[in-house]
Amino acid sequence: MTIALKKLSLTVNGKAIDPVDVPDTMMMQDFLYEYLNLTGARMGCGQGICHACTVIVENDDGTLAEMRTCITGAHWFEGRKVRTIEGHAKRDASGAITQLTPVQQAFIEHFSFQCGYCTPGFVTGATVLLDELKRKPVARADLERTISEALDKHICRCTGYVRYYEAVRDVILNTPGLIKA
Amino acid sequence: MAHVSRRDFLKTGVAAGVAIKVSFLSAPVQARLIETPPHPGPDWLKPDGRPRYRLDAIAKVTGEKTFARDYRARDLEGWPKDQSHAFLLHATKADQVFEGVDLSILGDDLKPDRLVLHEDLVAEGIVIPVPGDFYGDVFLVPKGQTARLLGQPVALLVYHDFARYDAAKRLLRFDDRVVRYGAKAPYSHPPHYGAARYVRIDGGDPFAEDRYSPLKDTVIYGGFSGDDPAWPPAGDGDAMARGMTAAAEIEKEIAAAGQDALVLKHQYFSQSIDASAMEADNGNVWYDPTTGVLHMMVATQSPYEVAEVAAILVSKSKFKLGTVDLKAGYTVGYGTKDHSIFPFFCVLAGLYGDGRPVRLANDRYEQFQMGLKRHAFWMDNVLVIDRATAKIRAMTGHFKNDGGGRANFSFSVGFVGATAAQSIYYLPKSDFSGAAIASRAVDAGSTRGYGTLQSMSATEMMIDEAAELLSVDAIDLRLANVFKSGMKNTQGAIPAGALRNEEILLKARQHPLWRDRLTKKAEFEAANPGKRYGVGYGHVQKDYGTGAEAAIASIEFDATGRLSFAHVAHEIGTGTTTSQAIMVGDILGRVPDETHYAKVVWPQMPLETTEEPYTMSQADEDQRKQNPRWTPSFTSPMSATNSVYYLGHATREAARALLDLAIWPAALALWSRGIGGGAIAPYTVRREELRLAHGMVNAGGLPPLSLGDVAAEAHRQGLITGVTVHSFNRWQWAEAEFDIPGAGRHKLPVDALALKYGDGAPDDRKALQTLDGWQFIDRAGVTYPPTQRNNAGVTYYAPMATFAEVVVDIGSGEVTLLSHHSIMECGTQIVPELVSGQIQGGIAMGVGHALKEYLPLYEDGPGDGTWNWNRYELPRSKDVAVWTQTAEILAPLSETDAPKGIAEVVMIAIVPAIANAVAQAIGRRFYALPITAEKIREALA
Repeated sequence: MTIALKKLSLTVNGKAIDPVDVPDTMMMQDFLYEYLNLTGARMGCGQGICHACTVIVENDDGTLAEMRTCITGAHWFEGRKVRTIEGHAKRDASGAITQLTPVQQAFIEHFSFQCGYCTPGFVTGATVLLDELKRKPVARADLERTISEALDKHICRCTGYVRYYEAVRDVILNTPGLIKA
Repeated sequence: MAHVSRRDFLKTGVAAGVAIKVSFLSAPVQARLIETPPHPGPDWLKPDGRPRYRLDAIAKVTGEKTFARDYRARDLEGWPKDQSHAFLLHATKADQVFEGVDLSILGDDLKPDRLVLHEDLVAEGIVIPVPGDFYGDVFLVPKGQTARLLGQPVALLVYHDFARYDAAKRLLRFDDRVVRYGAKAPYSHPPHYGAARYVRIDGGDPFAEDRYSPLKDTVIYGGFSGDDPAWPPAGDGDAMARGMTAAAEIEKEIAAAGQDALVLKHQYFSQSIDASAMEADNGNVWYDPTTGVLHMMVATQSPYEVAEVAAILVSKSKFKLGTVDLKAGYTVGYGTKDHSIFPFFCVLAGLYGDGRPVRLANDRYEQFQMGLKRHAFWMDNVLVIDRATAKIRAMTGHFKNDGGGRANFSFSVGFVGATAAQSIYYLPKSDFSGAAIASRAVDAGSTRGYGTLQSMSATEMMIDEAAELLSVDAIDLRLANVFKSGMKNTQGAIPAGALRNEEILLKARQHPLWRDRLTKKAEFEAANPGKRYGVGYGHVQKDYGTGAEAAIASIEFDATGRLSFAHVAHEIGTGTTTSQAIMVGDILGRVPDETHYAKVVWPQMPLETTEEPYTMSQADEDQRKQNPRWTPSFTSPMSATNSVYYLGHATREAARALLDLAIWPAALALWSRGIGGGAIAPYTVRREELRLAHGMVNAGGLPPLSLGDVAAEAHRQGLITGVTVHSFNRWQWAEAEFDIPGAGRHKLPVDALALKYGDGAPDDRKALQTLDGWQFIDRAGVTYPPTQRNNAGVTYYAPMATFAEVVVDIGSGEVTLLSHHSIMECGTQIVPELVSGQIQGGIAMGVGHALKEYLPLYEDGPGDGTWNWNRYELPRSKDVAVWTQTAEILAPLSETDAPKGIAEVVMIAIVPAIANAVAQAIGRRFYALPITAEKIREALA
């Protein structure tokens, strides 16, 4: 059996990736790990169950979507703009972090994670939720349910979810426009 | 979580008739752990010195490489950049001989660059490096033989590029034609692993001398007759015979119990589970044949053990070995990465890499197939309660735990489960045993709870049922029998410190969830037809520590007062790197400016160790301890429950010694400057008045000094400016006396000490600093806790109680957790946010054990390679009452209370609490976990 290769080009964390030969069957997570050395979107199950491996796809209309990289082929991302966990915080020219996103900041201040393996997926999921709420604010009374529904697909084995969810609630309550007046 | 080290366990096996000899490589074994880049931002501390976030928070939240799994060869300094990859093929049958592998499906293009079978290992002289069954007898199944356990690897395939590796793995996975089997044959798992029994009869009251106990007399060890333990005969001769006589007396009394006693007998079952640590086992090994250096980067909770065993493995083979250079990243395992065989498969992969680094990393199917499991337990319990007084007269429990096809820690998990079975109750007479059974199941090992989740959950379910049968409030029944300070446990040992279970019970009795449960049940069920409401209570106390806890910590300051801290601890998710730093700050008034965790090379601690702390005879230890450089154990594996108290002891003692030997004398010198003895002369200021906070040194109203001023003075005078300690605990701390240059004799609760002197020290003192700038102080005398104390089993406990409020849908059988509330006592909290996170996370894991997680043990179990989280259901946020859970933590008795290890106890009480809540809801009791919807439907049918 011969491995069929195909050119893949896409934008990752704002940088255009030159066309590169990638096997047809390779999953996005392996492309991120082995070709781009971006290991933050983590392999959990390889089945699309745990969502530790998700990344953001920045759609042309400005909306964000969460994609599972363990069950999505690398070539699905052809021509797309991808934001991995390494691309959330602001960095200076040397790559040093200068500012975390509000979601990241809330997660660290709430001690939301222990081992932190699932953290990139939660940052991704919560960021996409915030993006959705910008367009479609939620009533305060529905906030906890909304967070639960949006993030329930993410599995955390250490911290029992509470501190992630409380952090996301804080960010939403402190971000103007996400709660219906 | 590991209660005995591998070698100690094996030595324990000697008592059961298993001959063991372990030798160690004298060649340099260098284990070096990566301090991953968790450098915090400048604002990680709040003005009050408490952490705003974890030390490693920014690295983790931004996706930096932190886990061992994140690293490739290109990330590791000095390694070749070309990364090879390997995977294992596994046996899914244990009753047919293995004949070989058929890789024809791969074609020529995808054939591995190297295929390794058992016969290749034999040719190269590679054998399992540890005698006995701890890791089994063979890595790979030999041709013509059956697999020792389901899921055992049969072949290792190495690829020099990722694309071919990835494509080949996809093709071979799930294809049952690849591994070829021949004739049927008997199972070939090892003989059973060990049996131990703890019998105790008190002396008439909890405080009188026991008539018989393991601590006073002995633990009884047994063999096996078939699948059942065979105990020594009763008699009046040696201690074991007398123990069996005591056991017979208890059995006779139970048999003779009359109508005035409730005799409750039940068999309980606790299932095998996969810990499902999100980082699956992995490692990356580069064997450089030209230099003989084995470079390793592995995910492990026990790096020293991995380095040592890897060294033995390679040195006995035909591969030349000069050095083992181990790096370990952050990891997570809940105990399952402590003494796992997986790192040694990584070594094999590296040896067959043709000089290239080879990465072996389990995917989730493979992790289920070969990751260490939590033991299934079968428990045969009898509880006897006096109907008039509601006092327990006796309790017995005889347990079997299935360790699968490699021994690992199964024996100690079994007996630790037995010693924990008393839960929070004082038992005047008790007889508990654990028998670790071998089978073809995937091997089980050290997993969060270590046998106690299984045994205490059963006890708590039993107490709840007994209360119902006696028509007594379940909390009142607990109060009538609660284990109080100064009483003896089932091993006959008096636990450390105050036991505050009674206080927790009194609080629990007043809690609205308990007080109003019957009213609420009636109201809820009237309003929700088809639903049943229940509140259950579980209350346990979990030991922490292993009975052989060792650690090293070091603190020093420069002439500007800049603090540097180093520790053997490495991060497994619990936050130890944060809490150790905070503990330094609590004592020295400032969190270290520089931290170095996972430090493995300690030139200033030239200690010698036999690593036999559990099994060495008193006479042998008495002789060895004369050597001032000998210690029973160098350092312990990282487990979630030993960090704050045990690893923290070394931290706290190093800081306190620095306070006494450096800060206080230097500050005194500054306060005494000037005519007439300076500012201190008119006052009487004592050492105990010294206060350090916010980088300032104060005492008795004297002029505040900055830590920098004091440090400069200490350096100017050439006082002590650095302290390194080694600590050892055998259910009690070792203490030693040291003649300290310039400071006289000091007694400290450590067994080894090294010092560093300030810049102004005289040349002759500086000349003493021969060990990387340190002087090792040979102790003048040492007291180790007597070896008999090994039989204490446990002396350190942390308690936790949990209420579970559930609703059962009687149509679907689904259990919904409406809320839960916990009450815990953990001494002084170092970082309350980490404690709270442990509670929340532990409870989530307990919910999984109680209601969801289940693995069949044998042919349809995880060894078949098809298990993943689609069918093995982990608790999600909707399962854990994420918005409606609460917890309270008892205030410490004083600010001097030591912190207690809680990472295991937090997950246990919720298990019986849910079982008891379901019983209250539907009036049916379940004796086998998990309590699935299907079981409930069957029970209600």
